[in-house]
Amino acid sequence: MNPKLQLNLQRGLIYAFLVILLLITLIPVWMLLVNATRSTTQIQQGVGFLPSTHMVENYKILLSKGLDLPRGFLNSFTVAIITTIVTVYFSFLTAYGIIVYDFKGKKAFNNFILVLVMIPMQLSIIGYYHYMSLLGLTDTYLSLILPSIASALGVFFAKAYLDSVVIQDLIDAGRVDGASELGIFHKIMFPIAAPGAFTLAIFSFVGAWNNFFNAYILITTRDKYTLPMLIQTLRGDVYRHEYGAIYLGLAASIIPIIIIYFMFSKFIVSGISMGAVKE
Amino acid sequence: MLRKKTFKINYGYVFITPFIIGFLLFGLYPVYHTLALSFTNTTMLTGKDDFVGLQNFIRLFSDNTFITAITNTWQLWLMNFIPQLGIAILMAVWFTNVRLRIKAVGVWRMLFYMPNLLMPAAIAALFFSLFSYYGPVNQVLVRTGIIPEAIDYIRNPTAMRSLVVFIQWWMWFGQTTIILMAAMSSISLSLYEAAVIDGARDWQMFRYVTLPLIKPVMAYILVTSLVGGMQMFDIPYLLTDGRGSPANSILTNMIMMYMRFRSNEGHIGAAAAIGVMVFIMTTIVALLINYLLRDKDAKVPAKEVRR
Repeated sequence: MNPKLQLNLQRGLIYAFLVILLLITLIPVWMLLVNATRSTTQIQQGVGFLPSTHMVENYKILLSKGLDLPRGFLNSFTVAIITTIVTVYFSFLTAYGIIVYDFKGKKAFNNFILVLVMIPMQLSIIGYYHYMSLLGLTDTYLSLILPSIASALGVFFAKAYLDSVVIQDLIDAGRVDGASELGIFHKIMFPIAAPGAFTLAIFSFVGAWNNFFNAYILITTRDKYTLPMLIQTLRGDVYRHEYGAIYLGLAASIIPIIIIYFMFSKFIVSGISMGAVKE
Repeated sequence: MLRKKTFKINYGYVFITPFIIGFLLFGLYPVYHTLALSFTNTTMLTGKDDFVGLQNFIRLFSDNTFITAITNTWQLWLMNFIPQLGIAILMAVWFTNVRLRIKAVGVWRMLFYMPNLLMPAAIAALFFSLFSYYGPVNQVLVRTGIIPEAIDYIRNPTAMRSLVVFIQWWMWFGQTTIILMAAMSSISLSLYEAAVIDGARDWQMFRYVTLPLIKPVMAYILVTSLVGGMQMFDIPYLLTDGRGSPANSILTNMIMMYMRFRSNEGHIGAAAAIGVMVFIMTTIVALLINYLLRDKDAKVPAKEVRR
């Protein structure tokens, strides 16, 4: 076979494979979004891939069954935003300390963070829960947020990013101008590191927004339920056969993330391999 | 002058102190506290907290459910990880191949990665709906005549296991592809050119140039995926009744830990013992893999490899 033809054949097969994989990736999500706009009767009658007009109706059913979606949104947003700020700030603070200064034990601390990334910290949730209950912090958002002060993955990422942007000359210039060390970090380095901080912020936000397990263990009052916890109640008997409403509840919880993703996918895709691969 | 020097603060410590305090209070202490609880019969309601030695662990190992949970977790993880890595390697090779010149690589990988960001709780509920008895999957399969009558997937152990494996694969293959692509495109082109001059074929180039150089990144993917896999909870928990049904087929470590934690008398000690065992198992395996796959024959300096 001539090489040109062979190459084109190979390409054709690869594209076919990619298209099939893409359909597998997107169909479940598409069905979720479409079914959120279809009535329960329509859903039961058959599979459809075109949006319908019953979204408002589905939303009213959800509310009438006592699912306070706006409240869940507000709760999730509050927790996610605070977690994000705490994670980004302390991760960059720590990473900056490691990169800019020389101190005894620096290498050990660095290795320690690398090891921490590989340790399943979530398995200590039982101890964490009991400890929080002794401090009277269970059923508060504080218990969900506090651990993000020491995010090993965040430091890992921030270090990889800062490695490529920290400029010693700027730090020295700042010192000559009489800026304090913390002042240099806040006023000179942080603006320079903003794209990296933003990328880490997206990841922290998505992680906190989606986090089910910790909230499920630590939060008990229904008014404080975050979105994934509310979603989980959709499985109950109250919603039996209200398929349209269930799909709408699920869609509402993933749509903000889909929007964030399509707005900032460049940051996200470039951030995934950061730290794992040195480019 | 000398006096002033001894008073100078090393700012490195100032910058890392918040992390260390945060870690001690909210990272290390909970681990210690979990370990301490695992030797007691602490419950939520009665306020008992007597030291019972190794009783929780002895009970755990004589309980077949625990062995089932451990085996399940490993199986569910391995069955999604192997095809995930395979497909990701294949796609990363295609996407970075200069001869193939696949179009719109950025768009493909962006779309393949999307499921990873979606809320696992919602994804589990979505697949539960799709595969329910009167759900869309049965509708399509029955109407097109592929199966004669609807299948009750939710009560079928093999179907549920396959579904958990599928969902995990579906959520993660895009991420693995992106990381491998970054690793592959950081390999210098001159290495491939040299291989072509030596008469190497596609497969030989992959085997002797690409593979050794992406080994550290593969170790990273393997370890992070393993650590995540051993803590698998949301998908199997929310896909069925939260007890790993049908017939314990998707009962994972974390589900079992959660069940002990929320059992009628809330046996925190027994739940902590599960956490401790899985913690030890995962950490040992993760560090072992990291040690075995450490950089022996690649030419990259060791320091870079560990990143």
